[in-house]
Amino acid sequence: MRIVFLVALLGGAVFYSYVAFIDLSFFNQRGRPGAGFFPRIVGVAMVVLVLWAMVDALRDRRAAATNGFHDGLGDTGSGWQDAAKLVLLALTYAVLLRIFGGFVSTIIYLGLALSVLNPGRHLQNALVAVIMPIVVYLLFDRLLNASMPPALIDLPF
Amino acid sequence: MTHFHTTLKAGAVALVAAAPLAVATPVVAQQYPDPGETLDWTIAFGPGGGNDIMARTIVEIINTYDLYPGDIALENRAGGSGAVGWGHLYGQSGSGYGISTTSGSFVTTPLQADTPWDPTDFTPVALLATDDLVLVVNGSSEIQNIDEFISYAQENPVTIAGTGTVNVDFIVPTLFAEAAGFEFEYVSFNSMADQTTALLSESVDAMVGNPGEILGLIDSGDLRALVYSGSSTPEALGDVPTMGDVGHDIGVSMPRGLILPPDAPEEAQQFWIETMQQVVETPEWAEYIATNTLTPTVLYGEEFREFLDRTQTGFGEVLRSVGAIQ
Amino acid sequence: MDIFSDLFMGLSIAITPINLVYLLIGAMVGMIVGVIPGFGPSAGLAILLPVTFGMDPIGAIMMLAAIYYGAMYGGTITSILINTPGESATVASTFDGFPLAKKGRAGPALVMQAVASFVGGTVGVILITILAPMFSQVSRSFGPPEYFLLACMGLLTLIVMIGSSWKLGVISALIGLALGTVGVDLETGQGRYTFGSAELIGGIYFIPIAIGLFGLGELFYAFWSGLHNTGSGSIVQYSKEQRFWPTAQDFISTKWTMVRGSVLGFVVGVIPGAGATIASLMAYSTERSLSKHPERFGKGEMAGLVAPETANNAASSGAMIPLLTLGIPGSASTAVLLAAFMLWGLRPGPLFMSQNPELAWGLIASMYLGNMVLLAISIFAIPLFVQIIKVPYRILGPAVVVICALGTFSVHASFIETYLMFAAGIVGFFMRRFGFSPAALVLALVLGPLAEEALRQTMTISRGSFAIFVQRPASLWIIGITIALLVFLPILGRIGSRAANTEKAGG
Repeated sequence: MRIVFLVALLGGAVFYSYVAFIDLSFFNQRGRPGAGFFPRIVGVAMVVLVLWAMVDALRDRRAAATNGFHDGLGDTGSGWQDAAKLVLLALTYAVLLRIFGGFVSTIIYLGLALSVLNPGRHLQNALVAVIMPIVVYLLFDRLLNASMPPALIDLPF
Repeated sequence: MTHFHTTLKAGAVALVAAAPLAVATPVVAQQYPDPGETLDWTIAFGPGGGNDIMARTIVEIINTYDLYPGDIALENRAGGSGAVGWGHLYGQSGSGYGISTTSGSFVTTPLQADTPWDPTDFTPVALLATDDLVLVVNGSSEIQNIDEFISYAQENPVTIAGTGTVNVDFIVPTLFAEAAGFEFEYVSFNSMADQTTALLSESVDAMVGNPGEILGLIDSGDLRALVYSGSSTPEALGDVPTMGDVGHDIGVSMPRGLILPPDAPEEAQQFWIETMQQVVETPEWAEYIATNTLTPTVLYGEEFREFLDRTQTGFGEVLRSVGAIQ
Repeated sequence: MDIFSDLFMGLSIAITPINLVYLLIGAMVGMIVGVIPGFGPSAGLAILLPVTFGMDPIGAIMMLAAIYYGAMYGGTITSILINTPGESATVASTFDGFPLAKKGRAGPALVMQAVASFVGGTVGVILITILAPMFSQVSRSFGPPEYFLLACMGLLTLIVMIGSSWKLGVISALIGLALGTVGVDLETGQGRYTFGSAELIGGIYFIPIAIGLFGLGELFYAFWSGLHNTGSGSIVQYSKEQRFWPTAQDFISTKWTMVRGSVLGFVVGVIPGAGATIASLMAYSTERSLSKHPERFGKGEMAGLVAPETANNAASSGAMIPLLTLGIPGSASTAVLLAAFMLWGLRPGPLFMSQNPELAWGLIASMYLGNMVLLAISIFAIPLFVQIIKVPYRILGPAVVVICALGTFSVHASFIETYLMFAAGIVGFFMRRFGFSPAALVLALVLGPLAEEALRQTMTISRGSFAIFVQRPASLWIIGITIALLVFLPILGRIGSRAANTEKAGG
């Protein structure tokens, strides 16, 4: 997994440096540090260090393979599963927010998330899923005049 | 998309005001404005900024003098340096019930990003005021007036600070220096506060900025005002000459005006031109102009569109010549 | 100038029933605003500014000021309880604040942060009262060269918090620096990494990144490591110690930390634009280098929470100096206060205090009162907040997601930033999982643009010469202080810990 994350980082770093070298100039017209000065330095440093970290990661993995070494209690599988559930639920919430706005999507999301993460306790879940959005709405919209995400589709209530 | 409850308040005031009117003149469906339609007023920036304050001032005046019969819903649609808010107005093409106030970004944002709209696409109502700049030096500087500044700058290239590059702060000194024949290096800062600090610490030789925020420092003698870029110097600056007075008029400033969606009905444009003619006559408007040290420059309808066109072309040329935009 | 008569006049203006009501409302609203991640003091002030229109200026400024430092008090609460800093100035408070909560010491941590905020805020006001004119000189001696050095100093303090692997820590900081270059380049006006998008012109704002990396990242990590299924299923796994009040030891061991944090925070806060973030970082790393037990930092050391907390509150008082004596706002929050002054037709500047003594001294007097009020409110409110850590993760988790998302949205009403926050949450989980440093990323994102802009401004001003850094007195001072911090503090710290070890060995 670590190597995958590092590869993704390397991709980002290479792209960042590519743009820095193609689009942005190192010096400005007067010969002082220009728009590309920082990005080029940062980009190159990032590429070098990520590559170095990848070498380390590969070496560690070989060491881990020979020693049968396991790090962290989450690697047992169920940890990944639960984290993935929460991430998926969060992403669903992100999509819901755009469509139904802050209030309605919070009710849907909390109802959904709690029934997955806290199964069986229906009354408790229903109470949290209704009371929290109301409190948040009163706090943001009524008390603080702050913006809640507006709905793309207006629901009849 | 900020829901401000000014909506409710303004609406309530407007309803109370509209009630007797509605009885006196039977509503004709085709007539503009239809009191049954809510006016959707877009503020393309967040609360507290210059654009926001201008919009709220105008709505306040409209409500005080009962100039609009229906409800007005003010909404801050901030994002992308105005692209989101004005994009929303652009999407209301053909309607007479969308409206927005403009500021400098209305001209500069389309130069920097691929916005689907151009300033001249919208139905122009009125240019109400312009943001103009004052050139100042540190109070301890030996330079006492603009003539001394120009002759000093012709001998020794100076540094002038301003806020941002794709901005009137850069354009004004560039055109002025060209006209007066001196060279300078522009130092770009993030905010008026940053550039003022730089000038007070004697890091730069001079700076340009809206006088409003630095009047206190000018009064106390910490900064010395040399020249003003507008057509007439605001009272608060005293006898500081304008660039025109010293023979180097540049005629560029940031437009603060009012626009309707593209292809808005003619009655709507006419209604708002007449309404604005009343607004600019009120003492509240005069006070707004004075506290924000704006230059009252009023142009209506097509003249405003021409002004926008001229300003954007001028900006584009200067910025392309220095490579800031493609 | 008779300070005491001025201050008494201010107090007599501030202590009227209606003004005290405004102060109380402001303090409470500020606390609430501060507690919500995303809603820092500046966003809260900007949104609540319209409420004060039509109020009497003294009552209004007292209320706004109360919101301002109320938010500074409230801002740390989520840093401690759910590891989510609401703004950059409280990032450093998560380093030891959250570990304290995990150890079951959330109550003492919250009380100590309130006390630290009170001490920092009050020392700050005392310094304003007696030394405003002197510090005004400090405010006006800072230009781009000094800001560059200051930003470098801030970046150097990152070394302290980089964690176990320097390589991964530096990569984290580089990601932050890279994100900081997105947006229109200040000097050339050229778009960098904007790809024609209007949303990116203004750059990447650190709030969504900070909330995502810390708040959501920590949450995903807690689920990954199975905390929701083990022990009580809440943040506090094994509640050995559940005392609510701090021990005498907590106070004794941090008394000098508070003094140092207050003075350091105030001085840095006086510099316009540097402010509370750099102050809190410097205070944290100073305490760590001076500590006899630097290894305890990051694992729930009280001094590691008290130092940044005193410093950021003292800094927010310090930021009043350029506002009151020069009319220059030193931070986003004081910029909103400046806008308020101007809306009331006042003319901020060097003559402001002598032209408007009632307003200026009323404001200063109200800051003394406000800090006391806030300490009292905090003590009452903390027992309620502490309950949060007892809520099982399986319920707290979804609720934290909601608060993070809506809090982020409320700042600029931007869906893009809200999505960015979710993305940062996922990245934050992997960073934590693989030993990267989210703190280094966020702080580099805040300090990087400051360093880059200041360096390029300096190079334009000096026409390409680096000599400017040693030609200006203020620059020389900063260089001197940096060297002192880098060289002498670790030595002092080492001597201290050696002394402690000998003591232990002897005993």
